[in-house]
Amino acid sequence: MRIAHLRWWIVVGVCAAAIAWLLSVALTSNIQYFRTASEAVADRSQDGDHTFRLAGAVVPGTVHPVAGGVDFDVTDGKATVLVHHQGDPPELFKPGAPVVVEGHWQSTWFASDRILIKHGAEYAPPKVSTKPAKATVTKAAHNTVGTGTG
Amino acid sequence: MTSRRRWTIRISGALAALGLAALGWLALAVAPPDAVQGDAQRLMYVHVPAAWLAYLSYAVTAGASAFYLFPKTRSLRWDSLAGASAEVGVIFTSLTIVEGSIWARPVWGVWWTWDARLVTTAVLLFLYLGYLALRRVPGSADGRARRSAVVALLAFADVPIVHLSVIWWRTLHQQPTVLNPDLNPQIHGIMLTTLLVGVLAFTALYVHLVLRRYELAQLEHRRDELVLQFALLPTPEVAPRSTVGSTVDSMAGTR
Repeated sequence: MRIAHLRWWIVVGVCAAAIAWLLSVALTSNIQYFRTASEAVADRSQDGDHTFRLAGAVVPGTVHPVAGGVDFDVTDGKATVLVHHQGDPPELFKPGAPVVVEGHWQSTWFASDRILIKHGAEYAPPKVSTKPAKATVTKAAHNTVGTGTG
Repeated sequence: MTSRRRWTIRISGALAALGLAALGWLALAVAPPDAVQGDAQRLMYVHVPAAWLAYLSYAVTAGASAFYLFPKTRSLRWDSLAGASAEVGVIFTSLTIVEGSIWARPVWGVWWTWDARLVTTAVLLFLYLGYLALRRVPGSADGRARRSAVVALLAFADVPIVHLSVIWWRTLHQQPTVLNPDLNPQIHGIMLTTLLVGVLAFTALYVHLVLRRYELAQLEHRRDELVLQFALLPTPEVAPRSTVGSTVDSMAGTR
């Protein structure tokens, strides 16, 4: 009986420890997942080489593959940041895509080692139209990055 | 088992089977791929229903726990229902996390990230795993039920936190499409239909699983009562093995 008591209390304890661990990791990293480009630009002088996540839309026409990575601009509509990314960008990375880049300031550009795609909550089939898709994607990207700033 | 409950189990099982078949057909063959995410977006049709059913499971657990704690409605049947619903909820929560992870890899580029929605959902899983473990800590039936009911009500606080996490904090996870604050879903018609069929199919599956698990809990109670009765008999001779066997057989025959 005593061993049976102990066994299930141990499982309860392991679950409690898992919750404590999850919350401690979440609270020691940024509870706000990203900063917008304009916030990042405003805080640049205090940030040094502190790592954070920067969100914005990839500005069409600024994506240039370079040795070992890719250069591009991200914008939140107010401020634009030049990003030097080391490594392969993910599959859905393209001009106009809403992205979150992980990295730090290096003088006036942002040195990134991870690109995450932040997709919106809108779903639709591919548009069959003669209009360039670029404009709608960029608009969606701005909406995605603009929301959730609470 | 009452005949009404037996029929509810059968009908919900049939609806779940039909609904899941319809969902498979709609999600894989009828609904178009998403303009941005392509075929990976089809995971939404199982990810979102699983998440909603996890919410519903824990709401039923919390409601049943409240009925148990309220003196006028106190019955161990509410406790059984709370436990059954939490077990099914843990399955749906795990499914939500696994499907979300498989969806995240091709779309976000990572299996997991420390954003508020993902962390609060993982916390939800461990809260209810802990709750289920706590239910199994030995003790008097009433003591266990009371303790579990209080924990179930406290644990439920995480459900609204999970749902609102994408609105309260900035997250990589997108905001709700259907249950968004404006109640204005930005989703193509057939995609929304497929999603709703998914929710209905998963709800039927939930009802089926919970009722079956509840029936099993009732049988477990009767087994425990019988074991206790025989243990209290003065000598083994009074209750020969054959009697125990035939009683258990007749009990099993009541299904």
